[in-house]
Amino acid sequence: MIFNKIKNLNYLLIFLLILLSFIGAAGLYSAADGSYNPWASRHLIRFYVFLLMAIFISVIDIKLIYKYAYLLFTFSVLLLISVEIIGVLGKGATRWIRIFGFSIQPSELVKITIILALAKYYNDIKFENIKKISFLFFPFLILIIPFAFVVIQPDLGTSLSIIMLGAFILFLAGVRIWKFLLGVIATIISIPIFLQYIKPYQRDRIISFLNPESDPLGQGYQLIQSKIALGSGGATGKGFLKGSQSYLEYLPEKQTDFIFTLIGEEFGFLGTIFIILIFILLIAVCYFISIKCFHTFGRILALGVASNVFIYVFMNIAMVSGLMPVVGIPLPLISYGGSVMLSIMISMGLVLNVELNYNLKKLHNA
Amino acid sequence: MFYSEQKKQVSTYNRRTFFLFLLKLSLFTAVGWRLYNIQILDSSKYKTLSKKNQIDLEILFPLRGKIFDRNKILIANNEKVYDLYLIPENTKSINNALNDLSKFIDIDFAKRRKIIDLSAKVKKFEKIKIFENISWSTLEKIETNKYKLEGIFIAEDHLRIYPYKEVFSHLLGYINKPNEEELALPFISKMPNLDIGKQGLEKSFNPVLVGKAGQREIEVNSNGRIIREISKIDSVKGQQIFLSIDARIQEYAINLLQSHRAGSINVINIKTGEILCMASMPTYDPNKIIKKPNTEYWETILSNTLSPLTNRSIQGLYAPGSTFKMIVAIAALKYGIINADSTHSCNGKIEFGDRLYHCWKTNGHGKMDVTNAIKESCDVFFYEISKKLGIDKIAEVAEDFGLGKIFDISMSNQKKGIVPTKKWKKNTLGESWYAGETLISGIGQGFVLTNPFQLAVMTAIIASNGKIIEPSILKREKINFKTNEKYSKEINIIKKAMFKVVNENKGTAFKSRIDEVKFAGKTGTSQVKRISLSERESDDFRKKEQEWKNRDHALFVGYIPHDDPQYAISVIIEHGGSGASTAAPIAKQIFSYINKLDI
Repeated sequence: MIFNKIKNLNYLLIFLLILLSFIGAAGLYSAADGSYNPWASRHLIRFYVFLLMAIFISVIDIKLIYKYAYLLFTFSVLLLISVEIIGVLGKGATRWIRIFGFSIQPSELVKITIILALAKYYNDIKFENIKKISFLFFPFLILIIPFAFVVIQPDLGTSLSIIMLGAFILFLAGVRIWKFLLGVIATIISIPIFLQYIKPYQRDRIISFLNPESDPLGQGYQLIQSKIALGSGGATGKGFLKGSQSYLEYLPEKQTDFIFTLIGEEFGFLGTIFIILIFILLIAVCYFISIKCFHTFGRILALGVASNVFIYVFMNIAMVSGLMPVVGIPLPLISYGGSVMLSIMISMGLVLNVELNYNLKKLHNA
Repeated sequence: MFYSEQKKQVSTYNRRTFFLFLLKLSLFTAVGWRLYNIQILDSSKYKTLSKKNQIDLEILFPLRGKIFDRNKILIANNEKVYDLYLIPENTKSINNALNDLSKFIDIDFAKRRKIIDLSAKVKKFEKIKIFENISWSTLEKIETNKYKLEGIFIAEDHLRIYPYKEVFSHLLGYINKPNEEELALPFISKMPNLDIGKQGLEKSFNPVLVGKAGQREIEVNSNGRIIREISKIDSVKGQQIFLSIDARIQEYAINLLQSHRAGSINVINIKTGEILCMASMPTYDPNKIIKKPNTEYWETILSNTLSPLTNRSIQGLYAPGSTFKMIVAIAALKYGIINADSTHSCNGKIEFGDRLYHCWKTNGHGKMDVTNAIKESCDVFFYEISKKLGIDKIAEVAEDFGLGKIFDISMSNQKKGIVPTKKWKKNTLGESWYAGETLISGIGQGFVLTNPFQLAVMTAIIASNGKIIEPSILKREKINFKTNEKYSKEINIIKKAMFKVVNENKGTAFKSRIDEVKFAGKTGTSQVKRISLSERESDDFRKKEQEWKNRDHALFVGYIPHDDPQYAISVIIEHGGSGASTAAPIAKQIFSYINKLDI
């Protein structure tokens, strides 16, 4: 049974994940001036541990996942709240919590459980009800609670991605388009009210985020250097390990948020487009699984995961190429960092699971 | 689920899935296009930038806002000076660069250490200020030898100067480099080299005075020479502020205080609540703190036992002495303990419990009504009425007149003093209140503590017939304060008594009267050391020359003109002897001076 399942796994998807992790390791090797330490080796070890975990997740009974979707969501929100409380007690903003010796960002995990909860919700309600406004209340709650806690951290990059993720899923589920427009308007109106109610230091942080020019030494400089590094890479790049490190020294996040820049300098436009193409392929596989799935739970789950990956990739590249303010969003599986990799690999495990169970008619146990 | 329903749902899903995929593809195309622009179309530009040149981002520091007095007289200005900078990035080794430089300017070990530490903290491309306000001769030497000095350059800067030197020091404070905590403040936007206000109004008004940093993107070659400017956002100057203070009165007050070791003078415009003068002695010269090296000056300040950094007007706490009698009298009138005609007889002391309470006049005042008791400052009268009043009622009135309060005047370090109540004593000292303590409080001694500024506000409230005066340190246009009608009748009686203090024979401040424009007031002498029985019995103990620190504090509060009060004053001279002999004459001088000015 289990072997059967493992035999039927989507190996294209797994191959793409491995490929991305290798690209990441190569970038990290270069970021450390041609050394496996401190990042590349740990990156790969983590990846393989998480890959095993993803495969384990893929063979779990999907009915169990379906059954406990809300519970998982609640649990992840509690983790998020506890981070906020620890942060308040420790008198400093924190986004991390330590579990089993791992530092985990609950805000990353919460994105996955949001997808699960919404998938379960839309699986359970009748299609005709989706149009009704009253049936928007619960999904709205699922989005707004984690959003609120992430916003006050304040982690605007992640809160923005939660909103985008929610919009993608609600759109797919069949929510009418004019409601999205209404949502956008409501958000714009509520910003000043929201700013009134938060603490002054939180407001200051949010304002300085929205207006990065107030911190020209940090972000302005990073962006210029990022563009020079990308641009000087040209069509084919300066070659592996030949990126001019002098510039990258100015990128304090070269192993995380700015790894794409580093790869772009060494492998040029070909390298950057190659990475984008792999991500497009990865997303397309998830879409394929979503389309082929019989049940709404699986459809929304696979597409939600794809959207989550898309948001990371799009925001990260837009950020390092200066299309968007620097918000601290990493590139999945390529940037160094455990939390994002963990959450991506969990979600990939879920997508693999959906494909193995694509033809189920019912998810309830009678 | 009906079949058709399901089919509809599936087709919606498929349609929307397809749409979402197209959306994502097009967004990816946009990023791809952006990368194509940077990496293919503009590649040659970035390649040259990366090879030969680099882009520096220079922070353009904003000029700090000036501070003026109410008549637009500059009291905090910026002066052009020349500073020496080091850019760690442009040196092969900071140590060598400093060695070369030390041929022209003296760099001691501590300084060297500090520069090296700082260079490790800031970004490599950032310039570090290593010498401020260098002399012309040094400037000349360094300028001519510039080609030998790597990473060193001279830049124009502005130094904060306070033209009035020590006259405004407690009010304005001074500026200095931000500490770690202050660096996180939003308006500094991480400019570690920007001087910000550290004390006084310079500190309170930092967000207004600092302004906004600008930035300049410049292309520089490997020698650090600027090739061209790519973009520039000008810095925005800090805003100017206009204080309510009148520099002439302030300077005059400081000069008067110079002849005493410690004290404070405060003048408030009663109609507007504007603070016209807030002077404190001893004082310091903030210019000497700003100009480095300042260690020697700091040491003289810190070793001065009178602590010149303290703004006595708001941080000095004193027993108000007899200036507190107005409060007690108002309370007694209000609560029907006395009326305007009630009298008590003073024979120099009263016995209460097993203790004797003395009047300052050893032989007693005789029969006293409330007006005369204030005019001649009879203590026994106030022992009698406070005994009947009880401390809590006195406290209630004291608070209504601004005692024990912190005012919204942009000064963060006000000390609110103590307006004692039974509850207060129980909570802070864990003891119950003794009736004898009420007597002592009734003449403004004992636990009662006020700062000089509060006394000025108290006087302004009395003078204005109970207006709820909100003092301001910024210049202010006409303002209408609400009136607290609660004490109108009582205030009326008290004001007449305060008039007599200055303008009638036997009044304690009669010698300080001004004939052209009459003022009213009240003297106070607050005891610093308990007078022992033997001292009291040697009948000339008050005349005896005592050691300075054992002498009484001299106080005076008052307002002018008595019939349409414009200005309220409080004067405190630490260990000045008596209010009548030391403080009242100062108030007279200030009032005469104000009369001559046109404000």
